Amino acid sequence: MNDRLWSEAVILEAPDRQLRVESTRDADICLRRYWPVQDGRAWELAREACQRALAGHASPDSARRAFIEAAREAGFDLRAWT
Amino acid sequence: MKVRDVMTRQVVTAAPTDSVQAVARLMVDTDTGAIPIEVPGVGNLVGIITDRDIVMRIVAEGRASTTAVSEIMTVGLEGCQEDDEIDEAARRMTELSMRRLVVYDAGRELSGIVTLAEIVAEQQRAARHGGGGRE
Repeated sequence: MNDRLWSEAVILEAPDRQLRVESTRDADICLRRYWPVQDGRAWELAREACQRALAGHASPDSARRAFIEAAREAGFDLRAWT
Repeated sequence: MKVRDVMTRQVVTAAPTDSVQAVARLMVDTDTGAIPIEVPGVGNLVGIITDRDIVMRIVAEGRASTTAVSEIMTVGLEGCQEDDEIDEAARRMTELSMRRLVVYDAGRELSGIVTLAEIVAEQQRAARHGGGGRE
């Protein structure tokens, strides 16, 4: 299952909080449990992308890209090189 | 009573390179306090990490939550078989001073975890009902 490490971690920062996410499985958990905005379009697409990647129907990198878009939508300060 | 009757069936594992933060989230998500550590792609189980490890070796020591699991996990796994008697598993935990064992199925695949608390709860239940529990 493509649930292991991404090529590069994504670090999300908010006041008093830092989420370091390195895998599709962890991204899926963050989107479900630790996300401030759960009705955005990018959030929805990221959840779908994670599910597709976890099922082996898409690459982990596609889930990572969608996750980054959802993080932007949610207003996180983002640290990722790619 | 067999281990299979009281164990928590669990197949979720983490990788040695996963961060403690990610593993903590996985524990919350799967409602478990212990996760076996498996080498991705190889499938070898190399250790176990517990919520207690995270409290004592990360939080209490002031280490970063981005620390890799491999730095704080307990290396090596003690296990038992689903077919083992729970009394035997409890004795083994006592001998090893451990509170949980991983459980393997007949094919030697990881099938779950059994804790001393689960065994004691079952033994107490059986005692209350005046029998030896299910056979």
